[in-house]
Amino acid sequence: MNRSLGSARWMPYLLLAPFLLVFTVFLVYPLYRSAVLACSQTFGPTRHVWVGFDNFLNMARDPDFWTALKNTAIFTAASVLIQLPLALGLALILNRPGLRGRAIFRLIFFMPSLVGLVFVAMMFGLMLDEHDGLVNVLLRAVIPHFPGEFPWLEHYVMASLILASLWIYAGFNMVYFLAALQSVNQDSLDAAAIDGANVWQRFIYVIMPEIRPVLGFVVLLSVIGSLQLFELPFVMLSGAGPENSGLTMVMYLYEKGFQHNDLGFASAIGWTLTILLVGIALAQRRLTRHE
Amino acid sequence: MNDDPAARRRRRRNAAAQFATYATLVVFAVMTLIPFAWLVCASIKEQSVFFRYQFLPLGDGCLGLDWHELTLDYYRELFTSANFNFARSILNSIFYASTTAALSTLFCAMGGYALAKFRFRGRETLTLLVFGCLLVPGALLLAPTYQLLYQLGLLDSYAGLILPSIAPAFGVYLFRQSMLHSIPSDLLEAARIDGCGEWRIFFTIVIPLVRPMIGAFLLITFLGCWNNFIGPQIIIQTPEKYPLAVEIAQLKGLYSINYGMLMAGTLISIAPVMVLFLFLQKEFIAGLTSGAVKG
Amino acid sequence: MQLSSGSWTIVALMVISSLVLFFWPIPHRSGESFWTFTLDHDLIYEPVIGKWNAGEPDAGQHVTAYVIDKQPLLQRLQSGFLSGTPLPNMAEVEISMAPTFFSGPLSAVGWTDLTGVIHREGLDQRIDPASFSPWTNRGHIFGLPHDVHPVLLAYRSDIVEAAGIDVSTIQTWTDFVRVMKPLMHGPDGPRYLLNVWETNQQDMEILMLQAGGGFFDADLKPVLNSDINAQVLARIATWIAGPGCICTNAPDFDASGNNMFQSGQVLCYLMPDWMSGVWMKDLPGLSGKLKLMPLPAWAPGGLRTSVMGGTMLGISKSANFAQSWAFAKYLYLNHDVARELYRRTGIITPVRDFWSDPIYDQPNPYFSGQPSGRLYIQMADKVPARTSSPFKPDAVVAVTDALIRLKRYAQDTGTYDETLLTLQAHRELARAQTEIERRMAANAFLTAANP
Repeated sequence: MNRSLGSARWMPYLLLAPFLLVFTVFLVYPLYRSAVLACSQTFGPTRHVWVGFDNFLNMARDPDFWTALKNTAIFTAASVLIQLPLALGLALILNRPGLRGRAIFRLIFFMPSLVGLVFVAMMFGLMLDEHDGLVNVLLRAVIPHFPGEFPWLEHYVMASLILASLWIYAGFNMVYFLAALQSVNQDSLDAAAIDGANVWQRFIYVIMPEIRPVLGFVVLLSVIGSLQLFELPFVMLSGAGPENSGLTMVMYLYEKGFQHNDLGFASAIGWTLTILLVGIALAQRRLTRHE
Repeated sequence: MNDDPAARRRRRRNAAAQFATYATLVVFAVMTLIPFAWLVCASIKEQSVFFRYQFLPLGDGCLGLDWHELTLDYYRELFTSANFNFARSILNSIFYASTTAALSTLFCAMGGYALAKFRFRGRETLTLLVFGCLLVPGALLLAPTYQLLYQLGLLDSYAGLILPSIAPAFGVYLFRQSMLHSIPSDLLEAARIDGCGEWRIFFTIVIPLVRPMIGAFLLITFLGCWNNFIGPQIIIQTPEKYPLAVEIAQLKGLYSINYGMLMAGTLISIAPVMVLFLFLQKEFIAGLTSGAVKG
Repeated sequence: MQLSSGSWTIVALMVISSLVLFFWPIPHRSGESFWTFTLDHDLIYEPVIGKWNAGEPDAGQHVTAYVIDKQPLLQRLQSGFLSGTPLPNMAEVEISMAPTFFSGPLSAVGWTDLTGVIHREGLDQRIDPASFSPWTNRGHIFGLPHDVHPVLLAYRSDIVEAAGIDVSTIQTWTDFVRVMKPLMHGPDGPRYLLNVWETNQQDMEILMLQAGGGFFDADLKPVLNSDINAQVLARIATWIAGPGCICTNAPDFDASGNNMFQSGQVLCYLMPDWMSGVWMKDLPGLSGKLKLMPLPAWAPGGLRTSVMGGTMLGISKSANFAQSWAFAKYLYLNHDVARELYRRTGIITPVRDFWSDPIYDQPNPYFSGQPSGRLYIQMADKVPARTSSPFKPDAVVAVTDALIRLKRYAQDTGTYDETLLTLQAHRELARAQTEIERRMAANAFLTAANP
């Protein structure tokens, strides 16, 4: 009895030790340092100068920052408003009782999310080629008056990015929704049906309330991911794209920090992104708590 | 057997709905699979016919294809050319992804177990700290991590790439949630009363109970590392240590018009993960969604 | 089974891969390492490096060349200079990458200062002075120039001569547009005179520098909003939009752009010497259909060439200077290399001693028998100087954006009168100038006195 109690007292600390060690060194400490860095200007990791809030001021005065913010915001909004309904729709269809091959469809839809963003960017970079890319060829075959050469990567950069991310993530989000739908109480649905509710009403009044937590979670995940978009445009457009139309917050951070060597400025950008993220997460919590 | 018109109409409506359902699903499934098919075809097409035929070059050969315009040269070139270390970068990626996955799963399972099933001083504060860090975007830590690794002399090393990734707050969160729900405390108590040592309890009782979450988290982490680009791009500077994602992206610059080669490289890069996923499918999806559905 | 088979697979992978990596060491590169960023250079240098290595008894002085794409090359150099990660002894750096090396204190520049040794050995007399300009920052030379890169106008002689046009009558850009315009109605559809475009930064810069404009003055202060720059932008705007439009968007290094050159949809092209080599390789179908002529001047008697592109060879501070400098000179001051460079890529050497070599007078079948090398060399000593300001890439983007806004203004208001457009160009350039000045002021390292 004494032996097990004794080792039990140390156990939690022992269990947490490896995690805490790495966590402190590589997460907590850099987090603290990033705050210090955000108020400095550096040239590489060795030279630095304290500049107070100048980094933030310069950032606010830099038109590139606003371009990056705008692009990131548009992309995030599109992800939530286009991708998620599509995913939900697919999940609803897939959830129909008696559907055969559900596992196969689920697998197929999920597969794209396994492909890394870098690799998707390589593929879509070619598929979206203005003259001979697969996307244009298919669209020309399907839509009668489609313009011969649609310049995806020159003038419709945001659309290209949204299209690519749709391909990657619609299935991923669908899986979440499907799991949520399958745990919806079948009795409530049956009761509603008996009460005369049609499909749409059943959806709004029975299904939606029950999947709200998952919905919230998926939205949050989607927003967090979209705000950090980097690899897709960076590799697809080999940089920020024409007129910086593919410049995202993280790409802006990368360019300033690792191509112009100002780690301080990069940290300032990082904190702005973090504040944005925290703000959105808090807003989301408040919204869901109100219900 | 009611054969009245109402029932027949209902059956026809049902059949129509069924058809619509399957049709929609098939359309979307095809749209999802087309890029994969295109990728495979692109990796074996000669440069001259690359854009002329979207999939496979048609011709007079058997199956109506022009076999002369198909080639496996790109694959050969990738592995034998002196200009890049393709085989080596595959190995690097395997090492980096599997090591990070294994270590982080272990650490997070241990940490999550402690936070879920033990009462100790500072538990609430710690849990709050970990949960708070869930929201920290990776981009924020890029610059100071780079600086830290420089100070520790770990730049351009495997350790520098792996160490920062093996203590993700997300992992502890997942395991804590999972263990809170799936490990009954009475079971643990019973084991302790039976005189079972704590480590034995952990490895023989706790771990098997969270098997799905372990499988899921291993795969999630493996996937994340396999596809990780920005970290390695910044930290690794010796070409022999490049993981696949970085190697492929660099290929694009030098071989920008050699589309076939780029696509062959891309195909090789995504194949291993697809295969791994086929093994861990069920666990992955179960583990992934368990955290979300139960809140 | 405590864990699933998949989980054990991952653990197994970890064990196996770590073992393999442990026993597969990274080859230690002895001797000198030399980084370059294009496969072309690698091909040209290979025999030369082979000769150097054959003549060097000491294996520690053997040179190995590596080809790395520009973006990672830049990043690895930066990381090496500032964070001590592996560096090459020497590297070729392209003009678009160089400025970032100069954006910190002078003492932090990772390249060895070559000013002294270049003066001592008289290389500033042997090599065309303008070619040092992009690599000279705050009075110090940091690299050996690879080229001088004059620009000529390439034109479809088959189409132009068939129409009976005599290009010797073209002295200025105004002449050019007037004389060539009738050709725009081709038999198979519209044709265009140039591929100057608002997204074509290179052509914009070529034209600006030709006219005497530019981005920074000798003291590295921005001079974006100059009269010359405004006039050039205004003229370009009339070329790319409106009734006087003579250009179309045919991007360089692009399959669709190449098609347009091939098919004759674009008739003329602003061609630096290196581009002549690229076309000879990528567009063999145009052989015998092109000719070169000096650029039409902006004003009668004005400059008829410009400059675009550039590469330098830098020696990193961590290298053994004597060895690397010997190799650098061997490579860049080598008469055989100069000849081979011209033969393979059309690039003419910046070393004036070699300009009299008969190889440049050989008729070039690609350009209908013209001695393309000699034509470029005739312009070589007139090539304008360029700035090494670390803000030049930003400035180019700012001026390009100004051009884009100018074009949009012209299209939205229907204004194509050059005088009015020049006024608007001044407004757009003033905005660009403010932007650059703001960026420059934000740099704490360069604004400090005497960094």
